Amino acid sequence: MVDRVFAGILLLVTICYGYIAFTIIKAPFQYDPLGPESWPQILCILSVISLLILMWKPDVESFDTKRPTWIKLAIVTVLLFAYAELYEPLGFIIATVIFTTFMSRLLQATWLQAAVFGVTLGVLGYLICTGLLGLNLPSGPFPKL
Amino acid sequence: MQEVLSGLSTGFGVALLPFNIMLVLIGCFAGTLIGALPGIGPINGVAILLPIAYSLGLPAESALILLAGIYYGAEYGGRISSILLNVPGDAGAVMTTLDGNPMARRGEAGRALSLSAIASFIGGTFAVILMSLFGPSLAKIAVTFSPSDYVALMVFAFASLASLVGKNAWKTFMGALIGLMLATMGIDANTGIPRYTFDVPDLLAGIDFLVVVIGLFGMAELFYLVEQQVSGKLKALPIDNSFVRMSDLAKTKWTILRCSIIGFFIGILPGTGASVASAVAYGFEKRFAGSDAGEFGKGDIRGLAAPEAANNAAAGGAMVPMLTLGIPGSGTTAILLGALLLFNVQPGPMMFMQRPEIAWGLIASMYVGNIALLVINLPMVGIFSRMLTVPQHYLTPIIAVLAFIGVYSIVSNPFDLYLIIILGIFGWILRKLDFPLAPVILGFVLGGLLEDNLRRALSISAGDWSILFNNWKSIILYVCALAVIVIPALLNRWFKVKKPTLDVK
Repeated sequence: MVDRVFAGILLLVTICYGYIAFTIIKAPFQYDPLGPESWPQILCILSVISLLILMWKPDVESFDTKRPTWIKLAIVTVLLFAYAELYEPLGFIIATVIFTTFMSRLLQATWLQAAVFGVTLGVLGYLICTGLLGLNLPSGPFPKL
Repeated sequence: MQEVLSGLSTGFGVALLPFNIMLVLIGCFAGTLIGALPGIGPINGVAILLPIAYSLGLPAESALILLAGIYYGAEYGGRISSILLNVPGDAGAVMTTLDGNPMARRGEAGRALSLSAIASFIGGTFAVILMSLFGPSLAKIAVTFSPSDYVALMVFAFASLASLVGKNAWKTFMGALIGLMLATMGIDANTGIPRYTFDVPDLLAGIDFLVVVIGLFGMAELFYLVEQQVSGKLKALPIDNSFVRMSDLAKTKWTILRCSIIGFFIGILPGTGASVASAVAYGFEKRFAGSDAGEFGKGDIRGLAAPEAANNAAAGGAMVPMLTLGIPGSGTTAILLGALLLFNVQPGPMMFMQRPEIAWGLIASMYVGNIALLVINLPMVGIFSRMLTVPQHYLTPIIAVLAFIGVYSIVSNPFDLYLIIILGIFGWILRKLDFPLAPVILGFVLGGLLEDNLRRALSISAGDWSILFNNWKSIILYVCALAVIVIPALLNRWFKVKKPTLDVK
């Protein structure tokens, strides 16, 4: 069932993809027999065929994921988006400390373990990556190393 | 032969530089660690560490030596979690659990670990030797390939992918198509027309290869680990003092040799890697043992040596098409191929001539790496086994932090951070629905190449499609493509060979 739904969604996306390929993409002038639109057109046709076959014969019934797990996955997604959102404004250290602490707590560490781990990873990670390896990370309120 | 020797001397000149030796050691050590971590396999390890290796500013050959070290190191370390935990790090290590774990449970963990280390070493070294012998001649043939031959070659690659990887061939095919479609985003190189950019400036250059790799293999893995975490605690079996005996080696020497050969040649097939190789090798040895096979699955040393020799040989074999044809032989080598492109090195037949320090340097480093792995693994296996019990609440956040560091330090664009999360969710869904992920990355890496060659072939023929079938090289390749689809189907019917049950990455 999920299989069919997913294939259906992919089919919709593929049809949009094909619509763009068949109507919008055009080169004003070209010397080659195949323009920029031909390859996406071929891909679209092949995808529609294989998606129809997949919808005809699905083989995965359900995600087999329980409700608490779904909630956990949703929280992880929110945490990740928050981490991405805060990455530049707060800088690597603070964003990482916050993210790691909550993430680790979510995965059944105690608050103390989580906080210690978060601070260690944030500070140590920043020092190693920017100081030792010379990578570019957002420094936030702290002066750049 | 002359050429091989001079190539090897160039290669060892590069690989034996102290800095590069250090990178081999770091790569092998990190790889073994990653392989030993339950649930994280070679492909995730290489995916998560690739951007960091890239932004270190190493020269191309050093970066590749490091990444390749992580790759075969992880292939090597995968056996530790298979044997002690009964949890394979990736699909290539599934078969190792069948006999490795029963041995550990009856108190022979040390013997199982040391025997499998030696089998892995022989498989790996065997593959590098074959690679140095065959690589250059294969490259010489490949130099003469025309654009239409390349199209045929890639059709062959996708055919072997669809027939050998995953449970449902249509899902594998669809995975490859998703990768190919993702690759069409961005400005078309031939005409300068933007495709599927939706006027978002961040998409003009297409989706960055690193973003796709980290999203599909790093972030998706993270979601998968979070999901699995609820399902109880893992307990590692203790390592005892038992050690491999000379009689074990005498008993398994032909098994190891046969499986090395099987593994190497399956690894060469474009698209198929360690997972298929170890499954086929295990099945073959079991059948080969005949009436003597009663112990297989209960802790037979042959059943342990066979998949280990094969998956390490396959890791080497998978490098061959990547280096000589520019077509990756597995998901992980697809990532290595993308890494070469990042360094502006065009992988393929010309690499042996134009950039011998990279092609041969990599091959030579694998000789060094295999020895290093054996030396690291025999005495230090206790350290790696301690990694098995690293709690998930420490491991999982580290993956996210490493992925963010990797993406941000290269492009410094917060937009890509959102993109990896979205791709991660997408990858997780694909994985849950039994779509193998390796074809997606293969499609993404090969998409541009396939389209370019198709368009070039048709401009040579002024639009006549028959050019794709009018020379013997392409016809042979199409025949191979057909064979790789038909033969396994027939073999399946004859022998009822079981494919690996884990999804093939």
